Amino acid sequence: MTLGETLERNGISRRGFLKFCVTTASLMALPPTAATAIAEALASARRPSVIWLSFQECTGCTESLTRSFAPTLENLILETISLDYHHTLQAAAGEAAELAREQAMHANEGKYLLVVDGSLPGPGSNPGYSTIAGISNLQMLEETVAGAAAVVAVGTCAAFGGLPVADPNPTGAVPVSAVVRDKPVINVSGCPPLPMVITGVLAHYLTFGKLPELDEYGRPLAFFGQSIHDRCYRRPFYDKGRFAETFDDEGAKKGWCLYRLGCKGPMAYNACATMKWNGGTSWPIESGHPCLGCSEPDFWDAGGFYKALSVPTGNIGGTAAVAGLAGVAAGAVGGYLSGRAKKDARTAHRQVTADELEQKL
Amino acid sequence: MSTDNTVTANTAAASESGSALGPFSLERGLQALREEMDAPTAAFFSSCVHCGLCAQSCPFFVETGDPKYTPIHKLEPLRRLWEQEFTLWGKLKARLGFSQPIDDALLEEWEPLLYDSCSMCGRCSLVCPVGNDIQAMVRKTREGMVASGHSPEGLIAASVRAVNTGSPMGLQWKTLDVQIGHVESASGLTVPIDQAGADYLVLLSSMEIINFPEYLEAIAKIFAHAGVSWTLSKDCFEATNAGVQIGSKDIAAVLVRRVVDAAVKLGVKNVISPECGHAYTGIRWEGPNVIGQRYPFKVFHIIEVLDQLRADGRLRTEGMETDRLSMHDPCNLARKSGVIDEQRNLMKLVAEDFVDMKEHGKYQWCCGAGGGVSSNERAEELKMAAFRRKKAQIEEIRPDRLVTMCATCRTQLEEGLEEYTMDIPVVGLTEMIAEHLVEDAPPTAAAPVKEGAPS
Ligand code: SF4
Ligand code: SF4
Ligand code: SF4
Ligand code: SF4
Repeated sequence: MTLGETLERNGISRRGFLKFCVTTASLMALPPTAATAIAEALASARRPSVIWLSFQECTGCTESLTRSFAPTLENLILETISLDYHHTLQAAAGEAAELAREQAMHANEGKYLLVVDGSLPGPGSNPGYSTIAGISNLQMLEETVAGAAAVVAVGTCAAFGGLPVADPNPTGAVPVSAVVRDKPVINVSGCPPLPMVITGVLAHYLTFGKLPELDEYGRPLAFFGQSIHDRCYRRPFYDKGRFAETFDDEGAKKGWCLYRLGCKGPMAYNACATMKWNGGTSWPIESGHPCLGCSEPDFWDAGGFYKALSVPTGNIGGTAAVAGLAGVAAGAVGGYLSGRAKKDARTAHRQVTADELEQKL
Repeated sequence: MSTDNTVTANTAAASESGSALGPFSLERGLQALREEMDAPTAAFFSSCVHCGLCAQSCPFFVETGDPKYTPIHKLEPLRRLWEQEFTLWGKLKARLGFSQPIDDALLEEWEPLLYDSCSMCGRCSLVCPVGNDIQAMVRKTREGMVASGHSPEGLIAASVRAVNTGSPMGLQWKTLDVQIGHVESASGLTVPIDQAGADYLVLLSSMEIINFPEYLEAIAKIFAHAGVSWTLSKDCFEATNAGVQIGSKDIAAVLVRRVVDAAVKLGVKNVISPECGHAYTGIRWEGPNVIGQRYPFKVFHIIEVLDQLRADGRLRTEGMETDRLSMHDPCNLARKSGVIDEQRNLMKLVAEDFVDMKEHGKYQWCCGAGGGVSSNERAEELKMAAFRRKKAQIEEIRPDRLVTMCATCRTQLEEGLEEYTMDIPVVGLTEMIAEHLVEDAPPTAAAPVKEGAPS
C-alpha cells in the first residue's frame, strides 16, 4: 500500500494532505511549486522501513512526536512509514521484538532509515549502564547502523548527549555522531524536538531521495538556520533595551524581552518561534518563560536557566560558546551602529521641497 | 583628498547625470534610506524566509507571473543598504569587495518596481508568515527614490501642484465654487463655507470634484437630513496627499499641516476624509507622524460618520435597491484601517440583494490603481494587468452593479470594466445612501434613538 492510499483510508482528504505538503515546503524554505513534488512523492511512496532505537532517554521525544496533538497528519505519516521496530510503540516483546528488528534489517538492507533517540554509554565506559535484551546500546547501534541508509538522531540526547552527558556524565555518555562515522547523521535536536521537524526531514528524504542541507552541527538548516532571537516577537523590546527583570514586574506584564531572566534565544537555533508548540498554540516565550536553548549542545551546563545569557562551559560546547559570544557581540555592534548611523542620517537630512521637485520636470 | 573609489565613482556619476537628477543625488538618496532604517526594518529583512507567499498575494505578480514583481524583491535597494551598512557580515563583505553597489543604475531599474507595480495595498504585509510589513517598507524605500531623483514624473508633477495650487490635479477654490453653485441650485440647500465652530470639517478629493460631483450633493443632503453641523474650508479643501504617494515625508508634512491649520482656524472637533482610501490613511495614520504632533481633532472616513449616524438613528431611509449588488473594499479603508463592517451595515439599510466577493474585507484584492499608480502614466499597462484579479473576483459572482467608497478605486473599476466590455455600473456608497433618505423629514434630533446611543 502507498502512503497516499493509507492516508485516504484513514480519512485524510487530499486537500488536507496537500495543505500539509505546502506547509512542509514553506517550512523548508522551498519554493511553493515544491509542494506538488512533495505531494506526488509522498503519495506514491511505498512505506519506507524505519527502525527506531531508544537508548538513554526519557521518552519525551517519542511523546512529542506521537502524542503531542493527536491525531494529526504528522503522526499518521509516522505511523504509515513502516515502523518495523520501536521499543516503546511496538506490540511485540522479548525475542519476537528482536526478531522483528533483524528481519527488517535483512529485508531492507542498505535502504532503511535508522532513527535513534537517547545517548549511549561510549566505547570506553561500562556497557552495563544501558542494555536492551542483554545487548549493549553500543553493540546494537553498530549492528543496526551497518545496513542503514542514514541515521536520524532525534532529540538533544541523541544529537549532542543531552541530559546524560551533563556534568559529571556518570555513564560516560556520547551522542550518536560520536559512534557513527561512515553514514550520514542528521541531528534533529531539541528537548524534545518539534514534531514537524522530524516529519519534515522524512518528507524531504522521501521526496528528493536525499537528506536536507545541514548546519555545522548536522541539523537541517531549514529548521535550525535562524536563532530563536532572530524570530522572536519580543525582539523589538530587546532592540529598544526594554527587559523584564522579574517574572511579575511591569515589564513582564507588558511582554518585554526576557533576556535578563535568562533567555537563551540569542544562542538557540530552533524553529519554535515560527512553528510554535501544540499545534501552533503557543511557545515558551509567548507564555512568558525564557528559552532554555534546549536545541544546543550542552544546554544543561549553560550556567543556570535563569541567569542572563551565559555560554556552555563544557568541551563539546567550545564552538557553541564562541558562536554564542560572537552572536551577542554582533548583535550589540549592530545595535550600536544602527543607532549612530541613524542619528547621523537625521542630522544630515535635507528637506525635499516642491521647488526642488519642480526642477526635475 | 579621497582615496575611496566608490565615493569618487558615485560623485562622478552624479555630476554626469546632474541635470536629469536636478538637485537630487545618489548620496542624498542613500542618506534618506539610512534615515528610514530602524529596528523593525532590520528585523524584517533578517526574518524573511523566502517563502514566496508575498508573491502569491500581490496582484501585480499574480497577474503578470513575472518574479521581479515579488513584493520583497521590490525592496532590494533598501535591503542592500541594510546588509551593507547595518550588518556585520555585510560590512565584512563590503570590505572584501564582494558586495554589489547601490548606484543610480540600480535605482533606475527599481523605480518601476517601487512605483509602477505597487499600489501599497498591503496584502503582502497581511500574508507574510513572519509578519514583515512589506508595504510599509515600500513606503520607506520611496523616500530614498525621491531624494535620489528616481521618482516618476506623474507623481512629481502631482506633488508640485499639490503644494503650489492646493490640489494634485491643479484645481483651485474657484472650480469648487462653481460646483458648489450647482449643488446649491440642484438641492435647494446651502453649502456651509468657513463656518467657525462647526462639528465637522469636510474635505474632498480633486478626483471627486471633477469626476463625481454627486458626492458633494449627497453629503449636503445627508447632513441636512441628519442635522449635522459641517463646513468646507476655503483654505484647504483637498484631502489627498501626494507626498504620501510619492514617498516624501517633507512634502506630506506640508500638506498635512494645511489641513491641521484649517481645522484649528475654524475650531472644528472632527475632520472628515472623503470617499478616498489613501487620503484617509494619509491624514488619519501617517499625518500625526509626519508633523510629529497630535491633532486637536478626530479624523473619520465619511463611511464611519454615516455608520455612526445610522447607529444613532439619525439616518432614516426608505425603499430598497433590488438588483444584485456587490462591493469593492478600498485597501486603505478595509485592510489597512479595519473599516469593514461599517459599509456593510449601510448596505443593509438600502440593498435587498447584496453579495460579498469571495475574498473581501481585509482579504480583498486591490483594484490596482492605488499608491500613486494611477497618477503615473508609465504604469498604465501594469495597472490594467493588476485589475484582472479584481475582474476575476467580479466575474465569480456576477453582480448587476458595484458599490465602492473611494474615488480612485471607482475610476479604476469603471475604466477596467469598460476595457473588458463588462456592463457593470459603479456607484459611490454615500450617493446611494443619499438617494434613499426619507424626503422632507424634519431634522432628526428628536428621532427614535437606538439604545446605547448618546441622546
Ligand atoms: S532575548 Fe529571548 S525574549 Fe528577548 S528577544 Fe531574544 S529570544 Fe526574545
Ligand atoms: S523555546 Fe528554546 S528551550 Fe524551548 S523548545 Fe524551543 S529551543 Fe528549546
Ligand atoms: S512572505 Fe515574508 S517571509 Fe515570505 S518571502 Fe515574502 S517577505 Fe519573505
Ligand atoms: S503592497 Fe500590494 S501591490 Fe505592493 S507589493 Fe504588496 S501586495 Fe503587491
